Amino acid sequence: MAIRVNPEFINELDRFGAEDVQLCYQCGDCSTVCPHADEVYRFPRKSMKLLQMGLEQKIETTLEPWLCYYCGQCSEQCPREADPGETMMSLRRWLISKYDFTGISRAFYKSRTVEVLTIIFVAILTGALLLYYGFTNGNIGIYDGEGAFLPSHFVHRFDLSVGAILLVFLLINAFRMWKMVMVRGTNFPVPWWLYIKKFYQLPWHFFTQKRYSECEKKRGHKIYMPWLIHLGLMLGYVTMLVLVMVFVELLQKGPEIRWEVHVFGYLATIGLLAGTIYFIRGRFKKHYIQYKKSHGTDWVFVILLFMIVITGISQHIFHRTGLIEMANITYVIHLMSAVPWLLRMPFTKWAHLVYRPLAMYFASIRREAIERDTAVKELYPLVIK
Amino acid sequence: MENLRIGVYICMCGTNIAKIVDVEAVAKFASEVPEVVLAKSYKYMCSNPGQEMIIQDIKENNLNRIVVAACSPNMHERTFRSALRIAGLNQYLLEMANIREQCSWVHSDPVEATEKAKALVNAAISRVKLHEELESVSARMCPNVLVIGGGIAGMTAALELADAGNTVYLVEKENHLGGNLARVDLTAPYLYSARDLLTERITRINNNKNIKVFLSSKVTSLTGYIGNFRAVIQNLVSIQEGKTRDTEVEIGNVIVCTGYKEFDASRIVHYGYGKLPNVITSFEFEKMLRAGRIETKEGKTPKYVAIIHCVGSRSQEFHSYCSRVCCMTALKYAHEIKSAIPDCYVSDIYIDMHAFGKGHEDFYRSSSQAKTLFLMYEKGDRPVIHKAGPKDDCGMLIEVNEKLSGETIEIPADLVILMVGMEAREDAYEVARIVNISQDKEGWFIESHPKLEPVATTTDGVFIAGTCVAPKDIPDTVAQARAAAARILARIAKEKIEIDALYSEVNPNLCSGCRLCNLLCPYSAIEFLEDKKQSHIISALCKGCGVCVAACPSSAIKGRHFTDQQILAQVEGLLAEKL
Repeated sequence: MAIRVNPEFINELDRFGAEDVQLCYQCGDCSTVCPHADEVYRFPRKSMKLLQMGLEQKIETTLEPWLCYYCGQCSEQCPREADPGETMMSLRRWLISKYDFTGISRAFYKSRTVEVLTIIFVAILTGALLLYYGFTNGNIGIYDGEGAFLPSHFVHRFDLSVGAILLVFLLINAFRMWKMVMVRGTNFPVPWWLYIKKFYQLPWHFFTQKRYSECEKKRGHKIYMPWLIHLGLMLGYVTMLVLVMVFVELLQKGPEIRWEVHVFGYLATIGLLAGTIYFIRGRFKKHYIQYKKSHGTDWVFVILLFMIVITGISQHIFHRTGLIEMANITYVIHLMSAVPWLLRMPFTKWAHLVYRPLAMYFASIRREAIERDTAVKELYPLVIK
Repeated sequence: MENLRIGVYICMCGTNIAKIVDVEAVAKFASEVPEVVLAKSYKYMCSNPGQEMIIQDIKENNLNRIVVAACSPNMHERTFRSALRIAGLNQYLLEMANIREQCSWVHSDPVEATEKAKALVNAAISRVKLHEELESVSARMCPNVLVIGGGIAGMTAALELADAGNTVYLVEKENHLGGNLARVDLTAPYLYSARDLLTERITRINNNKNIKVFLSSKVTSLTGYIGNFRAVIQNLVSIQEGKTRDTEVEIGNVIVCTGYKEFDASRIVHYGYGKLPNVITSFEFEKMLRAGRIETKEGKTPKYVAIIHCVGSRSQEFHSYCSRVCCMTALKYAHEIKSAIPDCYVSDIYIDMHAFGKGHEDFYRSSSQAKTLFLMYEKGDRPVIHKAGPKDDCGMLIEVNEKLSGETIEIPADLVILMVGMEAREDAYEVARIVNISQDKEGWFIESHPKLEPVATTTDGVFIAGTCVAPKDIPDTVAQARAAAARILARIAKEKIEIDALYSEVNPNLCSGCRLCNLLCPYSAIEFLEDKKQSHIISALCKGCGVCVAACPSSAIKGRHFTDQQILAQVEGLLAEKL
């Protein structure tokens, strides 16, 4: 069945950042230089062609955009400056908006104003809630324990509710992704046991991001710097998430430092700070091709993250040095930045934390399913006819 | 008989010859042949010192026959002939033995190759003994020129020649000048207006007293030879009126610029040309562009335009060649459509994008930038055009197996433009017969050498330029027209034409007037003298091919420099038992 091309689609992808895809004339240099492209997953070349033709239903079901880590070698090679790396990035943004059932993601990508206003709204809402709680139940002069402005058991419950909201969004979207990719996107049988056989892929890719290191290997670098930084950032996020979701009571106790939890906090902070500075520097200097173009949503993320880190550090210092009022105020600001930052995640690029390991998992299932299907068709050609 | 003093020179051609053939052994063998005064080998005979050596030896040793065993005479016979002239010897007293192409390059056994080289040298020695001193003849060069075809090529050539002060007869079949270019709006890639290109030429031609334009006319006969042709120009309008108004002109050279015709799109049945009203050819679209109105047959502004490339070109079924101009013309259409209708979507359905010329690649890029959708189809798997359903927002849907993605897709279209290729005109055969030139299997006129003689033909004095030779774009066409004009101007400047002494002669004492040779001559060089009832060879037209010599039942024709005796001596020398 022929699929109708949609020449308007390319204009829509413009807003997600794929501004140069029309320049591609399909020489295939990008796929040659890409360490991850192969017979089964032919990108970026084929993804670019599908985008040019506007085969929306087809792109929806592809995993290729997730298999790219944007090392930028394709964009460096491209003889027509069609920027395949940025195109793959834009396709990821677009896919995130497709997986998202709320439509929020789409609204964010289409208008930065909507995004900023939403963030301010959520921040004010968070601030109002915390201040209301603090002033009715506690004293701004007390940091923890009896009569505290923001007692740790309250913060813990608050964190868990935010986490639960986040989880609901992510799970629903991940389910939608599975349906698009593994149900609508397959015209071959996928045996159920492959999901079990390949399950290890999920944690493996989440924690090691091994494939990202392969990008640098092909480039011939001895130290895989972007991969290391990326890994450090990711481990920083995860550590912080575990600390605030599980150990927030211990963290908040004071004023003495509890090394058994705080050491993790310090390490995660260093990781986040170093990683964020590295990436901000990259975006300013544009010395790597992947930083040449920054989408508006990229900047919102970085600014919020910076605020979280700074307020987190300062409230920690204020608390330990006895400036309790200041500590409580910075704590409120800290949470006002952290909540919209976290809730924003399922709707923006940072959802790749979930989608990319999932995609790796699905991709390995799909690869084996295709291989099995081809082998069967070769064995029994008549049955198929 | 004169005292023969033969010099033999064996060339090593670097190692080209010497690595297989033992040149010293060949030289030694040659030196022992009777009447050979000296035999030498040398690294490069064609080099200046090599030629100097021959000149010196001729002077010092009174040599009167020279044999050079080296490469093909096609390569260096002229070089050594000139050495002979410098030394004061008639240039035809030279014979070359080809021991490179016909020996060292094609054999691997050094012993046998050396024996063969000796045989070839021996044959040349035996032949050169019978060589005669020959003189080339010269004929008058009439400065008038006949240009057939009034398109961009013909007009350019005519102006070039007339500006140098020569009379030009410019013959055009249509009732106006301009040819196919007059049907075009803008030109790719710089978007110059074709009208501007033409009106400037036409005005200059009309104002030039040296150019006599014959509109609605054709050339019906061309007789004579280079420098001395006679042509008859027939007025086609008067023929229709039942009268004949022929003009006879005297000319020295002819340029044929008869151009091309477009491929008939209805031959590709499933494009539906002629049946689907909004499937049009590129020339029909040019007409829309010139009228300044891009619309469907129903008078609507199209939202989707699809352009299909290679209609009639690059297919085994029709023409296997590329028509060269369609790719850039298609990009030009995309550009013109987008500037006229900014909301219009243009799909460009192609086999390969040939952007070979100056500025073409940039033009292609700018078309991509303007978001023209490029879709590739497989050579043997043409797109199919369907009528769209009532629910679709377009008039037609084109089904294509898109090669680069491997997807079967449908492309919406309100207007489909077929990029029809170029083909030889149906009257090309008639023209070829009249001016005595050849056509290839596709009907294009054949140049005398595809690389080194792109505008000359095998008939001296008849040149070809532009798209009657092969599909080409305007710059190439203009360049060829000017090249042909330059060749003619150089000849006119010499006032006379030198004719090679290698022509055949009829011995009037032996010719019985059977006229067998008249029919066989491939160059129409033999005329029949009615008064004497004998055949006569026009030396300026004769190429010395020898067909008449072989055919003459009375052995009345002698091929100069290729006499029976010379050839037999060569054969005997080649087959001599004791080398």
